[in-house]
Amino acid sequence: MARPICRAARTSLSGRRIPPRPGTITPPVTSTTKAPALTDEQLVAMLRVMIAQRTLENRGFALNRQGKIPFASASEGHEAVQAGAAMAFKRGSDILCPYYRDLGLALGVGLTPYEVMLSLFARAADHSAGRQFPHHYASKKLGIHTISSIIAAQLPHAVGAAYAIKIRKQTGRAVLATFGDGCTSEGEWHESLNFAAVHQLPIVFLCENNEWAISTPLSKQMGQPDVAKRAAGYGIPGVIVDGMDPIACYEAVAEALERARTGGGPTLVEGKCYRFLSHTTDDDDRTYRSREEVEAHRSSDPVPCFERLLVERGLLTEASLDALKQSVLKEANEATDAAEAMPYADPATLTDNVYAGGHEPWR
Amino acid sequence: MAKTDTQGSAALDKRGLTDDQLRAMFRNMLQQRQLDNRGFQLNRQGKVPFALGSEGHEAIQAGAAMAFERGKDILAPYYRDLGLSLGVGLTPYEILLSLFARAADHNGGRQFPNHYSSKKAGVMSFSSILAAHIPHAVGAAHAIKMRKEAGRAVLVTCGDGTTSEGEWHESMNFASIHKLPIVMLVENNEWAISTPLHLQMGQPEIWKRAEGYGMPGRRFNGFDPIETYANVKEALDRARSGGGPTLLEGTCYRFLAHSTDDNDMTYRTREEVVEHRKDDPVPRFERVIIDNGLMTIAEVDAMKKEILKETNEATDRAEAMPYPEAADLYKHVYEGAWQPWQ
Repeated sequence: MARPICRAARTSLSGRRIPPRPGTITPPVTSTTKAPALTDEQLVAMLRVMIAQRTLENRGFALNRQGKIPFASASEGHEAVQAGAAMAFKRGSDILCPYYRDLGLALGVGLTPYEVMLSLFARAADHSAGRQFPHHYASKKLGIHTISSIIAAQLPHAVGAAYAIKIRKQTGRAVLATFGDGCTSEGEWHESLNFAAVHQLPIVFLCENNEWAISTPLSKQMGQPDVAKRAAGYGIPGVIVDGMDPIACYEAVAEALERARTGGGPTLVEGKCYRFLSHTTDDDDRTYRSREEVEAHRSSDPVPCFERLLVERGLLTEASLDALKQSVLKEANEATDAAEAMPYADPATLTDNVYAGGHEPWR
Repeated sequence: MAKTDTQGSAALDKRGLTDDQLRAMFRNMLQQRQLDNRGFQLNRQGKVPFALGSEGHEAIQAGAAMAFERGKDILAPYYRDLGLSLGVGLTPYEILLSLFARAADHNGGRQFPNHYSSKKAGVMSFSSILAAHIPHAVGAAHAIKMRKEAGRAVLVTCGDGTTSEGEWHESMNFASIHKLPIVMLVENNEWAISTPLHLQMGQPEIWKRAEGYGMPGRRFNGFDPIETYANVKEALDRARSGGGPTLLEGTCYRFLAHSTDDNDMTYRTREEVVEHRKDDPVPRFERVIIDNGLMTIAEVDAMKKEILKETNEATDRAEAMPYPEAADLYKHVYEGAWQPWQ
């Protein structure tokens, strides 16, 4: 049952035209192992992550407007690419090096709404003890590197982690590194892809191309619109996928990660998505893009698209979908209250983790 | 890549070059080889502190220089571009002043040897930092575009090692977004000091990166000055007429050590170097010139003697010049009578 859904979803889900062709791999690779088909439970789990992401996302903006948190970044439109990628991630063995718009990816690999709220409220119990930007999670337990606000700074770290996996001969492990389209113009991006390609490192570079780098449109970001076309210049496979389609994203990332885990080297995957909200709560996108453009993209909003698909295919009923949404909302409300009630970090701990101490190195 | 060239073909395809231009390119190549060796000799004699080897780059540089429009185009070279500098108008005397670090040098003896610059010839100051000159070159191209100076372009060169630098990528990307009048010429000599090409990139063809930037990319035999000229000319013409940037890759080889401070026998075999010597562009082009009746053997010999004489004179003259005054140490460091570049 699951497999036909995957195939159908690939062409029908968001209905967008993705040049040159979704799933195109250039240059062709011989070592591609097809991703295992998703079960019904996994498909529903992906939808739950997407709904949770959308709910927590809106919660972040609402809390900011209420004056309760200083800042939130926006990931609306990235739900499908992140839920799909997270489903391909192997918990307990892969390493995730995300960027600040990866709320859904963090949830998908195991971060809880409560942990997300601790980050937004900058409480002492947060993984960074309230010292990081909101939405800059990290979790040693889940294999999530700490997130950098500096664009592309995470990529040399990700490549370093992949290099360590190779040197230590830890077969079956890989790194998933994500970034937006703006990041691809940074020198570190190029140096990281080049190094990973030279040494055939176990890493997948996933570009969540949402067409906007804060206020810079894609046309001012690169000379041609497909990030994946750069892969050939590094001698690694490049894949373009509909980033509004979680199943297509899962398949592309799963195949790439499996290739990495089995010694096939790096892959550059580009998921074409869209950023529906402003860059962050500190940005007003009306100053640089039209409402018409945003509305036009709303027709391919991945959350209602995927909801419809699962209902149409009988994986959910209208009632069970409502119940799912209610349960996500309840969890978000409880997480908000629980996190808000937690204390801030004690000023006496200001220099904790700054100087040598009981810190355990990452393994 | 197959080292095909014009040699041995029935009729020489001159790609629009006149016989005088072909002879001028050949002279440039001989001059470069002579000065290159002079630099190494002077270093071994203890007379200059350092020199860079450009042997193997003669054809690509003579060809590119012939496509450069003096008085209009801007050259942003790297430190292995002795022949390109000669080809766009620097004299052997100026090269020797740089090697000897004399006060009369364009940089007042303050730069590395083989790091020339000439406002008059449109040659930007060289950087020893790999790729540092590429954002400058892109900036110059951006200025040309903003000032609407039609018919001008920037020629920027680098080696294969530089293509791994972040600045290289950022520059290529910026140039392609803004359709800047610039030609990026990579002189791929297979070695970045001691790093071979297969440890430099995941696939061996630099021009393949062009598509990712949305600009044309070409690869050609950099041991053939005529083919180089044709490719660089086409790209520069496109840049000058608003067609945007091009990425060119000329394949060549570095016959000498990276510099006088390097011993390449610690990282590559003599056999590899000897194998590439069979394709040495200077004797190859000499045969092309003679076989096609552009010069007689006697004329070539006379040209070589003349170049040697010129080099000897330039050496003696530059060596006799004074070093900069110690009192001038801070000149050009702080505000003064400096004229901005236009």
